[in-house]
Amino acid sequence: MSPWLCPEVLLVLAGVGLILTDALLPPGKRTVLPGIALVTSCVLLAGTIWQSGQPMPSSWGNLFVTDGLSSVFKPFFVLCLVGVTLISVRTPMGREETVRSEFLALPFFSTAGLCLLASAHDFLAIFVALELVAISLYLLVAFQRTQVKSLEAGMKLLVMGGLSTGFLVMGIAWLYAAAGTTEFTRILLEQAGRPASVALLLAVGLIVTGLAFKIAAVPFHAWAPDVYEGSPTSITAFLAVASKAAGFVLLVRIFGFGAFALDSVALVFRPILLTLGIATVTLGTLAALPQRNLKRLLAYSGIAHAGIMLLALGTLGEAGMGTVVGYLWAYLLASFPVLITIQEVERIYGSADVRHLDGLAQKDPGTALGLTLCFLSMAGLPPLLGFSAKLSVLSTLWNAGEIPGLVVGVIMAVVGLGFYLVPIRAMYWEREADSVPICRFPRFLVWILLVAGLLQLLLGLQPRPLIRLVERSLAPSVSAIIQDK
Amino acid sequence: MEARGIAMTLTWALPLLLLLPTLGVVAIALGSDPRRTALGVSLLNFIPAFLVSGVVLRQGEILFGPEVSSLREVFPVQFRLGCDGLSLPLLWLTLVVTLAAMGVARAQVKRSKEYFICLLLVGLGGLGAFLSVDLFYFFSFHEVALIPSFLLIGIWGQGDRTGASWRMTIYLMLGSLLLLLGLLGLVFAVPEISRTLDWRVLTETLKAQPLGVKHQTILAALLLVGFGTLVSLVPFHSWAPGGYASAPAPAAMLHAGVLKKFGLYGLLRLALTMTPLGWKEISWVVGLMLAGNILYLGLASLAQRDFRWLLGFSSAMHMGTLFLGLIGGTVLGLGGALVLMVGHGLSAALGFAVAGEIGHRTGTTWMQDLGGLAKKAPKLWFYLMIAGMASIGLPGMANFAGEIMIFFGAWSTHPILVGIAAWGVVLSSVAMLRAIRSISSGPVSVAMTTQQTSDLQGTREVWPFAFLTVLLFAVGFIPNLILGPARPILERLIQP
Repeated sequence: MSPWLCPEVLLVLAGVGLILTDALLPPGKRTVLPGIALVTSCVLLAGTIWQSGQPMPSSWGNLFVTDGLSSVFKPFFVLCLVGVTLISVRTPMGREETVRSEFLALPFFSTAGLCLLASAHDFLAIFVALELVAISLYLLVAFQRTQVKSLEAGMKLLVMGGLSTGFLVMGIAWLYAAAGTTEFTRILLEQAGRPASVALLLAVGLIVTGLAFKIAAVPFHAWAPDVYEGSPTSITAFLAVASKAAGFVLLVRIFGFGAFALDSVALVFRPILLTLGIATVTLGTLAALPQRNLKRLLAYSGIAHAGIMLLALGTLGEAGMGTVVGYLWAYLLASFPVLITIQEVERIYGSADVRHLDGLAQKDPGTALGLTLCFLSMAGLPPLLGFSAKLSVLSTLWNAGEIPGLVVGVIMAVVGLGFYLVPIRAMYWEREADSVPICRFPRFLVWILLVAGLLQLLLGLQPRPLIRLVERSLAPSVSAIIQDK
Repeated sequence: MEARGIAMTLTWALPLLLLLPTLGVVAIALGSDPRRTALGVSLLNFIPAFLVSGVVLRQGEILFGPEVSSLREVFPVQFRLGCDGLSLPLLWLTLVVTLAAMGVARAQVKRSKEYFICLLLVGLGGLGAFLSVDLFYFFSFHEVALIPSFLLIGIWGQGDRTGASWRMTIYLMLGSLLLLLGLLGLVFAVPEISRTLDWRVLTETLKAQPLGVKHQTILAALLLVGFGTLVSLVPFHSWAPGGYASAPAPAAMLHAGVLKKFGLYGLLRLALTMTPLGWKEISWVVGLMLAGNILYLGLASLAQRDFRWLLGFSSAMHMGTLFLGLIGGTVLGLGGALVLMVGHGLSAALGFAVAGEIGHRTGTTWMQDLGGLAKKAPKLWFYLMIAGMASIGLPGMANFAGEIMIFFGAWSTHPILVGIAAWGVVLSSVAMLRAIRSISSGPVSVAMTTQQTSDLQGTREVWPFAFLTVLLFAVGFIPNLILGPARPILERLIQP
């Protein structure tokens, strides 16, 4: 099979195709565009899944590799794209209807960047891929340019994104100075067995800082809630799930089996990552407690999840890396249905306040049930998928002997219940205010939520499919092995 | 060969026990009559339970699920169910209390669909936990009951229901997560080659190669705090009285009657067996805590003016006596604890059922407003007496049999605690008798004279109460119903 048919190329072609189609279609027929986008994304998803099941082809030189990790996460990102497109299609655009095609097409480019990121095996490739993701996102976040909040979010992301890129580039520069190369395997070979030089440690620190912005880890998290709240919901979803996952995939790659899988680096960075994790999960959970806007709630809950994953990652063992991979999938499956619901809530009521869910259990029991299962899964309650994910984090920490992280993780899991129960309480407990018009959610939402809820339950009881995925992701890349020899 | 085949077929009764309530939940969600479905399912569940009991009495235990295999799996969870002489009484307790709770639950309650689904889920959680052999499911099933309880108190509760439901949920979540840490510790204490989540295998492994005393102590302490929170051991008790006082009667019955026994069952099954040395090390802490339960909560129950709160406190207080049986370290004491678990489950369920009925019929559970109830509603009054007497520990009822065994069993090792526990009996007698006096022979209250208060009418309303009462007496007179099958297991439990 030609390597040119890889997801990245197809995604870019699809994005360009969407823009061209919009330009070529007569103005009256442009309403078919969202449908085309949705179908294209689904086809791409099928293609990516099919391709990731194939025997792994050779890498593109040393710049990009195709290995277990990339073959597990490319479908992840394209699945995110399908969800994002689904939400985008339902976003009312108002007077900006004319630029709709860009709103649909830009996520394709961004996803192409994410897929590149998943295979990147060189810091230069990482930089290029990250910029491809980020520049599309700057545009998308500020897309509803008549709304002040959207503009504010765009500005914040631009400044913060620029800053984080600055850190990253600086780190890469130092790395080049320290190791004389930016390619992962060569860094590894070069540095193995030596004590880490100050320059190398500085480089790792700067790169981790740059990535900490992407995953919204404390203390680099402050942009997330505002940006999440201000962006169109589809872009919130993209930032909250895909972009965050990309950061973690990178961290897993560089610390797990890439450039920095070095004992000398681990010695210094294990405590740093664990401390970051503890701070992130604590702040995310505590700050989520007073939130009454679903988007902000999800933003802080996402910060808390990032903290939990950082704790697992911080143990820097194979178990920790696998846990992060599984956790990301669990997080995707739980949070996307919620984000789709948020979009529908916004569409009906104009804002994502949690009180719009009041009395939902009576109006629409299916939606309420599915949403409840998703929230409970995020809270990590058995027998849902989120519990299995959290359990593996806790057992990783226990095995690694990281008692402070373990204790904080447990306490925050309890505190977290305090805000995950807020929407559930609203749905089942409160009566709907009389003045609110009775609007039903569209049927497709009920089905998505019910399927998602059922998936949480089934995968929670029998997480073997997810474990296969994790095992696959940890399989070393073919090219890396060859190069080692 | 033939008998073996039949026994193999009968193992399907175990998953059936869990399947029936699940089907009930689905049926109610799809629109079948909530109360009838819940009642029918709870009653139907007796059939597989009889089959299970038959096998257990014949063979000692019954197991369902795949053989323990490939211990090196990344996620070695296997859906295995089992039942032996120790879990059998609790299985029956769950079924009986669930049935009675469904019998007491009213069909005309608001949002009856969700109400009965939540009740069924709470019962299912207890049932699954008692039947699980895999620690993952053991833990998960208990958690299944958490959110339905939250909703039951929050939506259908009374008094400070919001506060009570939040407090209860957060407390129980904290307790379960500490418990989870303890369980993780147990699993990881075993060398990787023989690591398993099956507590039967785990027990054998840890008995063959016991852990160091220090290691055991840490794990036992984690398990104690985790399970202790679920059992409302002082100082982790404050969710219990208020939670029960606010919960609707059937929810309080299920929670106090069944779910609380999960913690005790866990301690008996896991902590005592797998960390015996550690358990001995911390037994003085347990002694202090249980003395707190008996004296502090006993005194607090004296001060209660609301019958529901009184029941909540007295229910939490009796956990002290139960813990005495657990630290006594004798078969007699453990057997007593098992009998008292069942007795307390039945009597607490009866008490909350009566309180709920009184509250429904008179609109109040304040004891001073209930004066003269005996005249207006003699049947209700009769069952109130029974519940009160059972909880005091009147001979002839299950609680007495359990308590006396616990006292005798613990006398040789913890005489001071037995003395304290005896004072507990006095305190609870005073509290309960005062309540009964003010309700029966106190001055006839204004509420009673002005209001039309109806009594229980006909078999349809009486049977849940009569059912629980008969069982209280049955276990009280023949404690061997429970002890017979459990005895060999208890003996094996405390064998070094």
